[in-house]
Amino acid sequence: MERDALIMETLYPLYTTGALTGNENFFYALIIGIVFGLVFERAGFGTSDHIAPVFYFKNLRVSQVMVSAILTCATLLTIAVYMGVLDFNQVFIPTVYIWPYLVGGALFGLGMVMSGWCPGTAVVGMASGKLDAAVFLLGVMVGMSVYFDQFDKIADFANSSNVGRLTIDKLVGGDIYTSLIITIFIGIGLSVFMYTMKAIRDKRGGE
Amino acid sequence: MDENKGYWNPIVAGIILGFALFGSFMIAGQGMGASGAFARASAQLTYLYDSAFATNAYAAKYLINGDALANWTVIQVFGIFIGGYISAAFAGRIKGSIDRGEGYSATKRLFWAFLGGIIIAVATRFARGCTSGQALDGAASFSVGAWIFMLATFGAVFFFANFFKKQWKGMH
Repeated sequence: MERDALIMETLYPLYTTGALTGNENFFYALIIGIVFGLVFERAGFGTSDHIAPVFYFKNLRVSQVMVSAILTCATLLTIAVYMGVLDFNQVFIPTVYIWPYLVGGALFGLGMVMSGWCPGTAVVGMASGKLDAAVFLLGVMVGMSVYFDQFDKIADFANSSNVGRLTIDKLVGGDIYTSLIITIFIGIGLSVFMYTMKAIRDKRGGE
Repeated sequence: MDENKGYWNPIVAGIILGFALFGSFMIAGQGMGASGAFARASAQLTYLYDSAFATNAYAAKYLINGDALANWTVIQVFGIFIGGYISAAFAGRIKGSIDRGEGYSATKRLFWAFLGGIIIAVATRFARGCTSGQALDGAASFSVGAWIFMLATFGAVFFFANFFKKQWKGMH
């Protein structure tokens, strides 16, 4: 009885629990996207002028936005789970493939320093009239077709070292609260690192 | 000149972004996405040109119904464009231009943007997402993969940064 009541209460995520139809979910996708676009533009992600300087610890805007967004969302998700309204198992987390993630991450970093964009910021950049953002996204489309075309040869690697839906608490033990605490520590650690590097750079007065 | 004029304080922007991301998880069960939409758009274009592409080992999953674009992330990216446009328009920031360092050639800049795009596309397929769908969403929902991805990304960024210094000269 008590258990049934608990299940009844876990209404969220609205779409995966069946509270929203597919079309309603698509409608909200548009609304959510508009909010993301607005926030991204106001955060300064519509220009490489704010993205490239972080490569040299010159301006920490990008990392400050990222870390505070991660910590805010992680805390809110944990509260929703604590209140029993969110079924966290229905939250989509991509399957983790360790080696492909490391190689993909390294290629991503190279591509980002080279282009000054990532796929999300380039959408806002293009909306702001940046030709380099549009050309970047054209490159992305071409790159995708190269991957599709060559997939036969790289599929074995791309699907290797699969460790499933690996969350922090599954790796180190504990529950979602453990995950939140560790995430907060990583966020603080990352911030301290970035501020320290910027301080060293400013002290040297380098370009 | 204050380069931060007209933009939100980054911490405040991050907190608002965190609330929006939370809303997305609560409604749809998934967060922000970007690269997936371009993978689907690319697959759809190729399919229109050659219908045999529907059996491609990777893209077949997108083309099950013959329409790769009827997808949550695709619609959401369309929203990002609209939201970005509205915000930039209200701030008077819409201007046809090419972001590049002082005195850097526009042609070279566009070449690097294009090549970087190709590399990033391949990267997102290996990593199952980009800085949005993998790093931001994953880290906010406690995925270990997000931090593995970011570790590699940061490492490469700081390793390669010096090779592209000229392109970003004088940026703020």
